Amino acid sequence: MTLFEFFQYVIIALYLMGMIFFIAGAFKNNPIMGKLGNLCAIGGFALHSLDLLLAITVYKGTVLTGGFFYFSLLGWSFILVYFGLWWKIRNTFFALTASPLALLLFIASLAAQSLKVTLPAHLAGLFIGLHIGTIFVSIALMAMAAGAGVAFIYLNNKIKTKANLTAFGKEMPSLNTFDRVNHWAIMIGFPLYTLGLAAGFLWARGTFTKMFSWDPKEIVTLLVWFLFAFLFHQRTIVGWRGKKPAILVIIVFVITMISLWGINFFIPTHHNFKA
Amino acid sequence: MDHNIYLIGLNHKSAGVDIRERYALTNVEEFEAGLLDIGVREVMALSTCNRVEILVVCSEAITESEILTYWANKCSGSRSDLEPNTYCHKDLKAVNHLFRVACSLDSMIVGEPQILGQLKDSYRNAVEAGAARVIINRMLHKAFFVAKRVRTETLIASSAVSISYAAVELAKKIFGELKGQKAMLIGAGEMAELAATHLLNSGVEEIRIANRTLSNAQELAKKMNGEPIPFESLYDYLSDTDIIISSTGAPHAVIKAKEMKKVIKKRKFRPMFFIDIAVPRDIDPDVNSLDNVYLYDIDDLKDVVEENMSQREDEAVKASSIVESETLSFGNWINSLDLQPTIVDLFNRSEGIAQAELAKTLKRLGDVDDKTKEALEFMALSIGKKLLHEPVSFLKRRTEEEGAADRFVDLARRMFNLDNDTIPPDAHCKRKKPKA
Repeated sequence: MTLFEFFQYVIIALYLMGMIFFIAGAFKNNPIMGKLGNLCAIGGFALHSLDLLLAITVYKGTVLTGGFFYFSLLGWSFILVYFGLWWKIRNTFFALTASPLALLLFIASLAAQSLKVTLPAHLAGLFIGLHIGTIFVSIALMAMAAGAGVAFIYLNNKIKTKANLTAFGKEMPSLNTFDRVNHWAIMIGFPLYTLGLAAGFLWARGTFTKMFSWDPKEIVTLLVWFLFAFLFHQRTIVGWRGKKPAILVIIVFVITMISLWGINFFIPTHHNFKA
Repeated sequence: MDHNIYLIGLNHKSAGVDIRERYALTNVEEFEAGLLDIGVREVMALSTCNRVEILVVCSEAITESEILTYWANKCSGSRSDLEPNTYCHKDLKAVNHLFRVACSLDSMIVGEPQILGQLKDSYRNAVEAGAARVIINRMLHKAFFVAKRVRTETLIASSAVSISYAAVELAKKIFGELKGQKAMLIGAGEMAELAATHLLNSGVEEIRIANRTLSNAQELAKKMNGEPIPFESLYDYLSDTDIIISSTGAPHAVIKAKEMKKVIKKRKFRPMFFIDIAVPRDIDPDVNSLDNVYLYDIDDLKDVVEENMSQREDEAVKASSIVESETLSFGNWINSLDLQPTIVDLFNRSEGIAQAELAKTLKRLGDVDDKTKEALEFMALSIGKKLLHEPVSFLKRRTEEEGAADRFVDLARRMFNLDNDTIPPDAHCKRKKPKA
C-alpha cells in the first residue's frame, strides 16, 4: 500500500465517521456527537489537504490532467466552506450537507483515478487556478445554501402550518440562520463565481483563441451565472428573503450538479472527463 | 443498618391549598434544629408553595408519628388534622421519592425546573446548619446527579408548557436570537403582558405599547419600560417591529392582510411573528399566507402546549426508569454502610492490587520456580492484610459508638474509593482552605 492509498483510506474512514456522528448528533439531539463529528472532519480535512499537497508535489503540472484531482478538490472545498460556516454560527447542522457530499466526491475521486481531463498544452497557471479555485468554493457555498434552503422550506412549512415539530425539528437552527447562510452564499459565492467565469473566459481566449465557443458546459455555466446574478440582484436590491431565494438557490445547485455529473461525463465538451 | 430514612411530606396532590398554607414551614432552620434536638441524626426540610418535604435520618427509636406530631405542633395544628394529608416514605421509597421530586416528576407541571433550585437551596441551608451529614449529603448529591441525568437523557424539559413560553420558543425558532428584535404589544391582558415580559427576558431590545386609550398605553409602557405609541399610527410602527402580541377587545380584525402586504414589502421581507391572543381574533388569518409572516392564534398556541405536555408525559416514563435504577444503586451504597460488607470490600481491593502487582513482577522476573512464586504471592497478600489490620480494628471500635458508624464507614469507603466513583481532578478545589 502506498502512502497515497493509506492516506486515502484514512480520509474516507474519518469523513465517514464524521458523517455518522453528525447525522446521529442531529437526530439524537446530542451535542457531544456533533463535537466528535467535528474532530473527525478536522482530522479528515487535515489529511485531505496533505493528500492534495502531495498530489501537487508529486505530479506537478500534470495533476491538472487527472480527473481525480478535481473531485478531490471539490470535496475539500465543501469541508472548507463548512468550517467557515461553523466558525460563523457554531452549529454542526450544515455538516449534514457538507460531509456526505465531501465523502461522495472523495470516493468519486478515487474511482476517477483513470479519468483524464483534456488540457491544452499551454495552460496559463494563474487563470486555471483562479478559474477552478473560485468556481469550486462558490459551488461549495451553493451546496451549503441549497442544504439550508431545503431545511428552511421544511421548517417554514412546519411553522406556517402549525404542525408539531419533531425532536429533530426542535433542534434545527432558526429560519433566520438558514436565511443568513443563503445570504452569505450569494454575497460571497456570486462574486467568486463571476471571477471564476471571467478567469475561465480569459484562459479560453488564450488557449482556444476565442472566449466563448458554444460549448455545452459554457452554456449551462452562463445560465447558472444569470440565475445567480438574478438572485444576487433580488437579495440586494429588492430585499428577497426566506422561501424565494431558498428555492432559487436549490434550483441553481441542482443545475450545477447536473452540469458537473452529466455534462462532464456524457456530453462532448472541452471540460470532458475521459476514462 | 441501624438507621431509618423517612421522607414525610405533603404536596399539591395530597393536600389542598389551605392545608398547604397552614403546614408550610416558615422557619426551616429552627424546624430542623428542633428535630435534631429530639434525637434525629440528620434532617433536611423543604417548604415551597406546592409542597413540604421533610427528610429525616434517625435511629429506630424514633417513629414517623413523633416527627408528624412535632411538625403539627410547630405549625400550631394537630396531628389528626395533618396526617390524612401527608405521605410517609421509608428507606428506599423515601430515596425514590426524593429523586422524583428533584427530577420534577412529582411537580404540578412535570419537567419544570424550579424545584431543583429550591432543593439545592434547602440542602445548602441544612449543610450550613450542620443538619445534613453522611446519608443526606450522599442522597442529595445523588439526587442532583439523577436530575442532571434525566435532563440530558430525556426531553422532559425541552419544550414549553405554557402559552407565553410557547410563543417565545416559536419566536426563537423564527428569529434565532431575540437580541436586537423589536416587539409590540397591542391592547392589554394578563397573558399578553406575560408573553411580553418573557420576550423582554429573552433579549428583545425594545417593546412598544399600542392601546386605543393612550393613557393606558403610557401606564403599561412605564411598567414594562417600553414606548407608548398612538393606536392610529400602528402600521407606521409595524414596518419596524418584528414580534407583535395582540390582545385587544376589538370585535373585528385590527390588522388586515392587505395592509400587511405593504408593510412587509416596506421592511424588505424581514420576518414578522404575530401572536394573536385575542378572542375574537385581532389579526386577519390571511396574514399567515404572506411570505416571511407567521401568525399563531390562541388555539394554535394551545395545541403546541398540549402536544408538548403529552411529550413530557412520554418522557416522564423514561425518566422514571432512570430514577428506579439510580434508587437501586443508592440502595447498594446504603447497604454497604454496614461494617461487614465494607471490610469484605477493603480486603477484596487489597487482594486485587496484590495480585495485579504480583502478575507484573512475575512477568518482569521471567522464568521463576513454583516455590518462589508461592512465596511472592504470600508476601504480597500479607502486606495487604497487615496494612489493613489497623484501619479495620479502628473502624470496628468506632462503629460501636452511637451514630458514628455511617460517618466512619463512609469515610473509609471514600478513602479507598470502594464504590469506584469517578472523581474529577478538581473535586475538592473549591473547598475553603482552613484558616492558619
